[in-house]
Amino acid sequence: MSFTPKTQHYSGKINAVTLGTGDKAIVLGGQSVLPFYTFDGEIENAPKIGVEISDAASEWAVPGLTAFYAGCTTMADYAKRAETIPGADFLCLHFESADPNGANRSVEDCVADAKAVAEAVSMPIVIMGCKNMEKDGQLFSKISEALQGRNILVLSAKSEDYKTVGASVALAYGQKVGAETADDINLAKQLNIMLKGLTVPAGSICMNVGTAAVGYGYEYVASTLDRVRAAALAQSDADLQMPIVSPVSTDTWTVKESTASAEDEPAWGDMEERGIDMEVATAAANLTGGADAVILRHPASIATVKKFITELV
Amino acid sequence: MALKGLDIFKLSPKKNCKECGSPTCMAFCMKVAQGAISIDKCPYFSDDAKAMLNEQTAPPMKTITVGSGHKLGGETVLFRHEKTLVSKNLYAVSVCSCMSDAELDAALADMQKVDYVRIGERMYVEFLYCNYAGNGVDKYTALVSKAAATGRSLILNCTDVDAAKAALELCKDGKPILNGATPENYAQMSELAVSAAVTLGVHAPNLSELYDTVKKLEAAGNKNLVLDVTGATAKETLANAVLVRRTALKDGDRSFGYPSIVNVGAIAPGDSRLQTAYAAMFTERYASIIVMEQMTYAEALPLYGLRQNIFTDPQKPMKVESKIYPINGADENSPCVMTVDFALTYFLVSGELERSGCPVNLIITDASGMSVLTAWAAGKFSSTTVKKTFETLDIENKIKSRTLIIPGKVAVMKGEIQEKLPGWNVVVGTTEAVQIPKYMRDKEYEAAAKAAAAEAAAKAASAPKEEVKELSFDELLATKVPKIEVVDMGVQYKGHNPESKTFVTIGERIHCISPSIRKAMDERDPAPILKRAAEQIAAGATYLDVNIGPAEKDGPERMMWAVKLLQENFNNVPLALDTANKKAIEAGIKVYNRTNGKPIVNSADAGSRIENINLAAANDAICIALCSADGIAKDNEERMKHCHDMLERGLSLGMTSDDLWFDPLFLVVKGMQDKQMDVLNAIKLFADEGLKSTGGLSNNSNGAPKTLRPIMDSALVAMAMMQGLTSAIVNPCDLRLMETIKSCDIFKNHVLYSDSYLEL
Repeated sequence: MSFTPKTQHYSGKINAVTLGTGDKAIVLGGQSVLPFYTFDGEIENAPKIGVEISDAASEWAVPGLTAFYAGCTTMADYAKRAETIPGADFLCLHFESADPNGANRSVEDCVADAKAVAEAVSMPIVIMGCKNMEKDGQLFSKISEALQGRNILVLSAKSEDYKTVGASVALAYGQKVGAETADDINLAKQLNIMLKGLTVPAGSICMNVGTAAVGYGYEYVASTLDRVRAAALAQSDADLQMPIVSPVSTDTWTVKESTASAEDEPAWGDMEERGIDMEVATAAANLTGGADAVILRHPASIATVKKFITELV
Repeated sequence: MALKGLDIFKLSPKKNCKECGSPTCMAFCMKVAQGAISIDKCPYFSDDAKAMLNEQTAPPMKTITVGSGHKLGGETVLFRHEKTLVSKNLYAVSVCSCMSDAELDAALADMQKVDYVRIGERMYVEFLYCNYAGNGVDKYTALVSKAAATGRSLILNCTDVDAAKAALELCKDGKPILNGATPENYAQMSELAVSAAVTLGVHAPNLSELYDTVKKLEAAGNKNLVLDVTGATAKETLANAVLVRRTALKDGDRSFGYPSIVNVGAIAPGDSRLQTAYAAMFTERYASIIVMEQMTYAEALPLYGLRQNIFTDPQKPMKVESKIYPINGADENSPCVMTVDFALTYFLVSGELERSGCPVNLIITDASGMSVLTAWAAGKFSSTTVKKTFETLDIENKIKSRTLIIPGKVAVMKGEIQEKLPGWNVVVGTTEAVQIPKYMRDKEYEAAAKAAAAEAAAKAASAPKEEVKELSFDELLATKVPKIEVVDMGVQYKGHNPESKTFVTIGERIHCISPSIRKAMDERDPAPILKRAAEQIAAGATYLDVNIGPAEKDGPERMMWAVKLLQENFNNVPLALDTANKKAIEAGIKVYNRTNGKPIVNSADAGSRIENINLAAANDAICIALCSADGIAKDNEERMKHCHDMLERGLSLGMTSDDLWFDPLFLVVKGMQDKQMDVLNAIKLFADEGLKSTGGLSNNSNGAPKTLRPIMDSALVAMAMMQGLTSAIVNPCDLRLMETIKSCDIFKNHVLYSDSYLEL
């Protein structure tokens, strides 16, 4: 008796969510099989890659990044350059300088940056805040207003501020909203229910169910991804069928493996190469678990992850 | 895949002869399925049927040991959250007979550079994958002997029988994997592998041929196999790896129940970054050995970190080694910061300390991998354990600074640590890790250390040295335990018949984690404690739990006071004595009145707290026996093993089985929803053996909204009582729960029904 593989069919399906407009618009999600399980069924939309650019990008101490963005001064300059990276699908504007406990850039300055970027590029835009809830609330609302019609994704609403963020971003200005929870599948489901309760359409919600660099408690991320996908597909749980966007670069470029200089860790070799591999491995692990999009920083990582995705779908 | 009783029944003789001791064949088969009785008890089962059953009850995936004791396979689940993954994937670097001497030497030297320890685990390249390029047996044996000289285990990737034979002659004692069987040569290769007693690797152009080849090898008696599932592309390789594993574990087809080899070097030649990406994927999706073209620190740091995460048992916390970690170039004069050995705590705290830029010695104390507050509450992070860490690590001599910063969350320990570590200035640090950089940079601890030093000096000057003489319980009782005043709280404890079969509720509301109770215990203030006792007794609690906290210093007098206070005020209400301090429990029992039932020792486990069974036995007390050792039991097999270990100990010490109340450890739904039925089934297993059970039932609804908790707790208690639960540690003031329990006691025929049964 010879071997015939059994395929696994699911009744559930991940929502297909469109970001951006025009030719460069992208669709996240749509899968009805586990990530890259092409032997079970067709992958409707390949996972996408976003490029992180930050208003603090001038502080990135990685030679390859400095060289790549040479001559860029404004966020719009960075965005235009980032748009040329082969494999990039969307841009992620990270407003870390807005943090009141840091540089405390004004909301007006950030909005002006976002508008300038939107005028300079045609790729879909994702907005990432500074992690200060009060400031992010204002920032998200104003940027969503300024970029109305561009169909952006805002990262993100949390259980503490989903009402204000959900109402302004998704309801008032018709943008897409990310629902962020930290490695807790029950909370992830609850937050989606709450957003839907505000009348945010399910098709306007993406999720970030938790992130970590590999080696740093990544088991919680891996198991949350596995469980979320199992619930969405096998149990057809409509409250967990939102596509997942994983910001990878913000975690991987701050750990010791990526920041310790060759002088500090002589055995470890070139720092940039370590940073790239850290970003690549974390992105691959996220994609294997269920991320429908990853956000990365280094052009070399983007090239590798793009190849990875292309080879597997 | 567990075999069902009915499946066994189909094979049974169906004679109902009762010779096995069971009334019917059906009953016997059910017991066999539970593992309660051996199939050999039946004289009429045919040998064929027995062999078939043995085959079917064998694990779905073989564990194969290769090289210098490396274990591969043995997995039982596809995802780590379902239970745990047992054998981490191992790494190989490929070398080839086509390499020049210089290339080979360089490759071997580079491979050996990666060798380091991360959270107690050695990270290095376990295997060398020796590829035969068909360029002559001599070239190959030269390669293999150089590779073997490194001491690493070998994989011989060679389909040429002569070359393989020559290579095996050189290295077979090192138990290499002979990765060389194909649909064409499998018979000869298998003979070679069997005669050299090594594991055989099997390749084929597709899964169908791989399957057929394995079947043929199995038919020839060779089940010492690994499957090389590397395909022509990454896509095909992933499909192979997943389908092989899924067929074995989900469909129960053991012909694919072997470990797998994935050569990512072959599917992404020359692209080390892409190999890293693939290796990350195959770590999560089913490679037992991953072969790379190279392993430098750039690949190793993320990949070994990921592997360590993925193969952590989800029910056992990751621990770091207890030692001094100098940060930012700290030396013996730098201040010390202490925290627990839970890996996430360590990473968070060390990361923030690094960010502060200040030189500091981070001292990690052994707390069984628990977080700060959990460890404190369990007595695993206390002044005694801190002192022990200081002794074990010889900190007194290794560090000259005398400033010790402790976590803000355990500020209560400051005084006790100060006393146990004379000469040290104990300072309370921040409650959250994110506050550390500012705290360190502002040097807030310096002033606090001075203040602590001054305080200690003042104390030393004013108080003459106290005699360090241990008082007997009687002396303590006479001198240190305040007289008890009986206050009328308007509530009468109705009494309890220890022989009764009704469900025993243990009221959990007198607990030191509550700030008001902690304060009342510290100040020996009866009012708050009596108030909570009265509420619980009025609500119908059978026993009251008395948690006095870790109580390292004054445990005995604290417990004696609390026991006397509660029993004298409430008609000798029976009590569960709850503390990590054994002396305190002993003292409490000394003054305990047994009119309404024996005292309960809360609690022993099968790990570091097993001694509490001795304590209960010596004092004729009931003991709550937690069926876990360190961390939550991974399945009911483990729960029952702990149960039987503790039962055996108790019985050997002269206890009766009725005095051991087994706790399956109720788990929280938010997080461990898929384990709830395991816990309920464990209760059934206890009950089937005639054992009593109890546990912190309301743990199931931790973190759920207040309005939901009574509903969840009531549903669970009804299900658990159906399974045979005899007691629970609960909040008796939860009316819905108490009414459910009383109703269940009616259905279980423990109490005679009357219209007023709820009021009784």
